[in-house]
Amino acid sequence: MRTRLTVNGQARELDVEPRRTLADALREDCGLTGTHLACEHGVCGACTVLVDGEAVRSCLMFAVQCDGRQVRTVEGLAAADGTPHPLQEAFSAEHALQCGFCTPGFLMLAAGALARDPSVAADPDRLRELLTSNLCRCTGYESIRRAVVRAAGELDGARHADS
Amino acid sequence: MKPAPFEYLAPRGAAEAVEALSGEDARVLAGGQSLVLEMNYRTARPARLVDINRVEEFARLDVDRAGESGDGALRVRPLVRHRAFELPVEHAGVGPLARLLSLVAHHIAHPPIRARGTMLGSLAYAHPAAEWPAVATTLGAHLDLAGPDGTRTVAAGDFFTGPFGTVRRPEELLIQARLPLLPEGAGVGFVEHRRTHASFAALAAIAVLRLRDGVVDWVRLGLVNAADRPVRAHAAERALLGQPAGTEAASAARAVSGGGAASAAGAVDGAGAVAGAAEVAGDVDADPRPQPHASIAYQRHAVTVLVRRALDQALRDARVSGDGG
Amino acid sequence: MVEGEMARRGGWAPARREDARLVRGAGCFVGDLRVPGCLEAAFVRGAVAHGELRGVHVAQARRMPRVAVVWSASDLPQVPLTPPMLGIKAAKGRPWPALATDRVRYAGQPVALVLAADRYAAEDARDAVRVDVAPLPVLLDPTRAADSEVLLFPGEPNVAVDKDFGDPIDDAVWRDAAVVVEGRYRQQLLAHTSMEARAILIRPEGADGLTVWCSHQAPHRLRGDLANALGLSRQRIRVVVPDVGGAFGGKSETYPEYLALAVAARELGRPVRWLEDRAEALTGPPHGRGQNQRTRMAADADGRILAYQLEIDADIGGYPHLGAFVPLNSSVLAAGAYRTPRVHVRARAVLTTTAPTSPYRGAGRPEAATAIERTVDLLARRLGLDPAELRLRNFIRPDELPYQTPTGFTYDSGDYAAALRLAMRTVDYEGWRAEQARRREGGVEPPLGIGICSYVERSGNASEFGSVEACPDGRFIALSGCCSTGQGHETSFPQVVAAVLGVEPELIRLVEADTALVPRGIGSYSSRSMQTGGAALHQAAGALIELARGRLAERLSVPIERIRYHAGTVSADGESMSLGALAAATGPLRTDEVVDPPQAVPFGTYIAVVEVDPELGSVRVLRIVAVDDYGVVVNPVIVHGQTAGSVVQGLGQSLYEQVRYDDDGLPSTLTLLDYLIPTMSEVPPLTLAETCSPNPNTALGAKGAGEAGCIGTPAAILNAVADALDLDDPNVLQTPLTPYACWEAARTGSGRSAARRAPLRVEATR
Repeated sequence: MRTRLTVNGQARELDVEPRRTLADALREDCGLTGTHLACEHGVCGACTVLVDGEAVRSCLMFAVQCDGRQVRTVEGLAAADGTPHPLQEAFSAEHALQCGFCTPGFLMLAAGALARDPSVAADPDRLRELLTSNLCRCTGYESIRRAVVRAAGELDGARHADS
Repeated sequence: MKPAPFEYLAPRGAAEAVEALSGEDARVLAGGQSLVLEMNYRTARPARLVDINRVEEFARLDVDRAGESGDGALRVRPLVRHRAFELPVEHAGVGPLARLLSLVAHHIAHPPIRARGTMLGSLAYAHPAAEWPAVATTLGAHLDLAGPDGTRTVAAGDFFTGPFGTVRRPEELLIQARLPLLPEGAGVGFVEHRRTHASFAALAAIAVLRLRDGVVDWVRLGLVNAADRPVRAHAAERALLGQPAGTEAASAARAVSGGGAASAAGAVDGAGAVAGAAEVAGDVDADPRPQPHASIAYQRHAVTVLVRRALDQALRDARVSGDGG
Repeated sequence: MVEGEMARRGGWAPARREDARLVRGAGCFVGDLRVPGCLEAAFVRGAVAHGELRGVHVAQARRMPRVAVVWSASDLPQVPLTPPMLGIKAAKGRPWPALATDRVRYAGQPVALVLAADRYAAEDARDAVRVDVAPLPVLLDPTRAADSEVLLFPGEPNVAVDKDFGDPIDDAVWRDAAVVVEGRYRQQLLAHTSMEARAILIRPEGADGLTVWCSHQAPHRLRGDLANALGLSRQRIRVVVPDVGGAFGGKSETYPEYLALAVAARELGRPVRWLEDRAEALTGPPHGRGQNQRTRMAADADGRILAYQLEIDADIGGYPHLGAFVPLNSSVLAAGAYRTPRVHVRARAVLTTTAPTSPYRGAGRPEAATAIERTVDLLARRLGLDPAELRLRNFIRPDELPYQTPTGFTYDSGDYAAALRLAMRTVDYEGWRAEQARRREGGVEPPLGIGICSYVERSGNASEFGSVEACPDGRFIALSGCCSTGQGHETSFPQVVAAVLGVEPELIRLVEADTALVPRGIGSYSSRSMQTGGAALHQAAGALIELARGRLAERLSVPIERIRYHAGTVSADGESMSLGALAAATGPLRTDEVVDPPQAVPFGTYIAVVEVDPELGSVRVLRIVAVDDYGVVVNPVIVHGQTAGSVVQGLGQSLYEQVRYDDDGLPSTLTLLDYLIPTMSEVPPLTLAETCSPNPNTALGAKGAGEAGCIGTPAAILNAVADALDLDDPNVLQTPLTPYACWEAARTGSGRSAARRAPLRVEATR
């Protein structure tokens, strides 16, 4: 099926079987292998991407469902000039990744949430609820929580500097 | 873990969607958060998927205000996502119902799943540990099913037939759930017991009640995953209705039921009623199935504990929200 | 000089080099490789746990679109046998073929291989294959399997290994001791659950060569195994390990799927890839743990431990693989941190019809620590002693080190009591004991328990290769035989070399995990990377300095004693050359070193504080304090990260994780909604602290780090829950400590507490 979507700002036209998951379309048809498949049943969140700004499990969505929609992946997180997103810097600064396989999913989960409502990082309960969405087997999570708080602070600072 | 092939249809209107469902072995794709999981495991292999995500009218969430007969309802259409209920829905007059749905919604999976998954999808899927089927059953929701021959309405209590089983026919689309508004001043409670935050409910209890002069004059109690289908705890409701139940009752009830004797109730007014109802819920209303990490006896016991805690919550909520106690 | 440099430069944590690509989604895992013409594999797996394979019907599957081949064992030109790991003799007479030939011995054993244009098509064909198996009885418990008349390999006993450690303990010791306690413990089967499951891509190179990309911990081992199994020369096989999404012991092995794939790649002359999916990964192999343990401990009236006996029946699944080694690791460490004069272990590795086991983070150490630490708590309870006090009376003292245990293992350095005392101070042990007493008195708040685990482990084994070369451009290349699976070698290994050379770490580039570039190596498991691989680089860097001094001495025709080395430069008599310039002027400047230090013994004490919902049995962990001694720590941020992650895996074993099988031997934990690993919401407040007892056997001084959390956490939580529930018979508690398990334990194992609490309840109602 013909499917037109925008991925990281770039228009794409794909011809895919209806059963092709969004994750596979991104990885195999768009060559964007930063989105990882770790459980393929929606539990771990490694494949999390933003569809129209909303964090979704790309293993539980079909590419054909994204016709006409905007998709953002970890490859589209940094600025066009390559400047890392504050979340990317914070994950490194807080040692919030070890093997790095779950990292793109956590980054997109947090990026979607902070864009929607930056205050989520200031409320420990809401932040915990948010970050409970994804699984990591290496870090023990605390460093991930710190990284998101740190990045939220950076984003907040940037917003104030702009205004 | 790749799905088997299927035919994909994405209708834009309700009638078109119903028509598309008439194909052999067709399934509805709404949120897809359970269906696609099963398709990836190939435990589900539908020949056709009818993706209703482009049917705009399906995203509606409306309130019918209570008329003279008090028959107001929240009308939920097929594309209302779990997330819509996270914050108490902003409709005047929805009050306690919105608080209950909000309490429940935060227990469903996690934010990305809630952003996709739908209440009606959950009802139609009928997972034994899902929360919404028990909410619908407990509150006496009405479910509207649209089929080739028109629309019929089924009471939630008659809808569920067992694990993953409902009376919906394959060619029917669950097009609307009507959740009755709760009485003014009702208090709500929901307590879930689960092993990790990534797991389904092991058990959960729903409690809604209204107090008049310290006496329970309206009550709904429900259980999640305590039988082969959602349970409305009728026997426990009967045990509580008309009984005194101050806000101190539930906490005192803990001590009572801990001692194992509902009859030792006297000390705090109403403690016996709450403890007694909770025990009835565990002993009579629950019909637990074998589970890997829980004996039948444990499940009955846990139902009692959860119902008591949910009642405790509902009693506090009734007081906070106004004219209770 | 070297120690001084390490002290100055160690304890320093630069940003990880790996992160730059990983946070951009620019890492390269096996699934990310783009190799033209590559076919994707799916395996047809037996749906029966144990049975005779009567037929594999592939005709229909072969006709399906985009399918290249569907092969059962009978279609293969050769059916290689899975190599016995570490030369374990148990595999003799018990072959594990790449594809099942006449029998299946675990549900999920590969029976046929499908290769297709993509994984979708491969799974379509997989589902079209029909497999005929005549079922045989299943064996799901190692102790029962040991005595069963059902034999997995007719003519061979189900007990694949039966080994004694230490001398048998005389009956009189048990008879005459003031106190004897007995424990019965079950270590449930676990799934490794690395976020990236197993993955391999094989490309044929000419008639007799292969390039293999594999998510692996030991590339040189894999190369050797493939060469042996396929009858190829090692030199013609190149194994490359790209980014690895976690391993935890499950990726150091050679599996039947790899062999089937290698045969297919050669036969087809095309690249082929298998990406294990989660459904396959959860059903295994590999599984971890899986031990039945019986313990017995004797002590005198003062609590001095006189004897300790441990019997292990380890479940190794349908084929003896690396899992058969795990109970031996438990045995060697059985004595724990205590000066026990008599220790005897009998360890059996027993075949069952579960999936084969492998080491899983800790690999026998958590099993050993849990057995002795639970038993020590049992003893303390019997004697009416505080469990901390009992431990302090029995620890091996620093002045007794090195100490050889009765099971024949030597502990190197440390102060076990100091670690316990630090943990007690850090957690505020006395404060929690007071809180516990207050709650017991009040009888209203949930019961609270404090649990201790003082562990010793052993890290590293065998030799490791390290090389440092000074390049003419002023940079350095470090080669290591290790293989990072997320531990950050690219960052920490250059730190070691930089510290020795006195240059900036940025000048040093690490190369590892490629058998074409690294001449030899063992890999990364057993917490061996920094301890052994780091020591090899440390030594190679030191040797490079000596080599450069010699080179300059020769060039200047002066005695080597006159050559000074400082910060990347050699000099004498006013002449000075950087190592890069020296290499440019005199030719390649490189040293290759192999170190082979004895295993090291990291140790520490974990304390967990828990409360238990007295009605539902749910355990809430309020606090974990982890005190570890890893010797010299090179990069504290990486090491703390290892500890934190490891603790959470230990928490998973304690409370949530369990691979389950149904009565027919079919796995029933098929999804991550059934096999529960901790989420962020399960993680308790965790405080890390350290003591430092340098490894006396290497110049670097590092001991292994990474597995301790899995070792210390389970016993600490188990002891804490037993303490909270005030159990007379803690043996009723087995992991995972589900709410039901704790509720049931409180009902059946706590005569004392029931007697004490019942009247409190009555009072509360008045």
